[in-house]
Amino acid sequence: MMRYVVHSVKMLMKSAMQYRSSLLMQVIAQFVMTGGELMAVTVLLSRFRVIGHWGAAEIMFFFGVMQSTFALTELFGRGIAAFQGFIGRGEFDSVLLRPRPLLLQVMCSQLDPRRLGSFIVGLAAIWMAAVQLKIAWTAAKALLMAEVVVCSVMLLLGLFLIEATMCFFSVKSIEMVNVLTYGGRSTCQYPVDIFPTPLRLLFTYAAPVALCMHWPISWVLGQPMVVLAQGWYYVTPLAGLVFFALMAAIWYAGAKHYRSTGT
Amino acid sequence: MPFIEARGLGKTYVRHAAPKTGGISRLWKRETQHIPALTDANFSIERGELVGLIGPNGAGKSTTVKLLTGILTPTEGTCTVNGRMPWEDRQAYVRHLGAVFGQRTQLWWDVPIRDSFLLLRDIYALDHAVWQRRLDELIAELDLADFLHTPLRQLSLGQRMRAELCGSLLHEPELLFLDEPTIGLDAVSKLKLRAFLKKENHAHGTTILLTTHDMEDMLALCSRVMVLGHGKLLYDGGLDALLQRYDTVHTLRVMFEKTPDLSAVPASVTRDGDAYILTYEPAKLATSVLLPQVLSAGRVREMTLKEQNVDELIARMYKEMAL
Repeated sequence: MMRYVVHSVKMLMKSAMQYRSSLLMQVIAQFVMTGGELMAVTVLLSRFRVIGHWGAAEIMFFFGVMQSTFALTELFGRGIAAFQGFIGRGEFDSVLLRPRPLLLQVMCSQLDPRRLGSFIVGLAAIWMAAVQLKIAWTAAKALLMAEVVVCSVMLLLGLFLIEATMCFFSVKSIEMVNVLTYGGRSTCQYPVDIFPTPLRLLFTYAAPVALCMHWPISWVLGQPMVVLAQGWYYVTPLAGLVFFALMAAIWYAGAKHYRSTGT
Repeated sequence: MPFIEARGLGKTYVRHAAPKTGGISRLWKRETQHIPALTDANFSIERGELVGLIGPNGAGKSTTVKLLTGILTPTEGTCTVNGRMPWEDRQAYVRHLGAVFGQRTQLWWDVPIRDSFLLLRDIYALDHAVWQRRLDELIAELDLADFLHTPLRQLSLGQRMRAELCGSLLHEPELLFLDEPTIGLDAVSKLKLRAFLKKENHAHGTTILLTTHDMEDMLALCSRVMVLGHGKLLYDGGLDALLQRYDTVHTLRVMFEKTPDLSAVPASVTRDGDAYILTYEPAKLATSVLLPQVLSAGRVREMTLKEQNVDELIARMYKEMAL
């Protein structure tokens, strides 16, 4: 199984390298776009200094984590994010003819290396913020950050899966769900506790970005949003894995529907 | 037990569409349409058979193939392939299946085809040595050596089809589906492809099911055909018997020195420039009866007898079956 995944990724990289200059341009474009957003956040914060109880550097830290995990999600989850075209071109039929798990095949079918541009900006924001805040890194904190990244990527993949599932039922565009994915990115690049209750509840319990990302990060930053025993900050991100598993199960039900109707 | 067996197999698609009339309620109201794509198909196919699936567009060919490959689940009846239901335990079932869809590629567009074959090795979890031996065999038979390191997108249609075939046969499937495999190919490529399929069928005992609109494909490859129309299996049997049932039409093209008098000739006559085209059915009017009459109609400068026009035959068959 691992050999199949690694080989697929290698081959997709090779495919992308066929158009080297175009890829480079797109990576730069993404870099500039996300960089521009970072500038906007910085300018905004130079005016206001604080949002809620968060200082400029902390906001930048949240921004960086969201941007980099979202970029990673788009990088590896391209197959899910672009699933509509996948169904439309009939490629899903080919997937059904191969002896590998369906979702794994869909994920291994496409990469989006352009997102490296956003990823770099995200990492840079985290690094700059961490330097300004003089975070005292310990193994425990570094480990938690790694867990946050992995679980957040799974959570975001789960959000993209909702849209992909709807493609089984209608080939038409279902932009509505973008509210959760791209809308979620724009909203949750700020700590969720600055928002009014409905939005906070939505992104804590329905699409648990706060559990995966904001709660543990706020602890790393030394300003926990919710005061828990230390061990719990390692538990809440697991909500992302649960969310992904749930959405994957629904996606599989959609695939079953597709096979019975042939839309 | 036959290799493939279908009993009462059927598939009805359900389509939802907004009603064509009505006011604002059209926004949420849905009309449900039931479209039977295949009804009550019964057939059995033995291991190693080479069967042609023909019929006009929308006759149910693709649906039949999709049901047998397990892409779709049937709404009625059942079918088994080698004792398995295609829609159950998908991964185990498709392990022994190969498929080539003429219009759609199964390989990767931007990488050399050998890389695609390497990835297929991992997808089917083949042992490297076994894979290599099989690949070498297919490279030799399909003549792939020249473009093995060329990306798929740079290949000609004929080369691409050969590459696709190689990709679908690397894991030595028991059953191979081909959807219009010769579509768009030139004459030489078609001949090569047919020869290859015959050999593959013979050497490995691969059961092959192919859909086609090309009568030449069928004449060259299939001893057995299944004719589908309006979702029903209309004919299942030997190609020879089918050809006899739908009597073949011959054409005789004649050029005369002077304007002939063809009024007594019992064939239907049309003009093509200077030439006269006589069409007749040999079963009703023997060629040996017709020829003297033509010769006596005037001084013949040139005469060619054309063999049965198979496409015309198919068109007639579809017409007679009211498709």
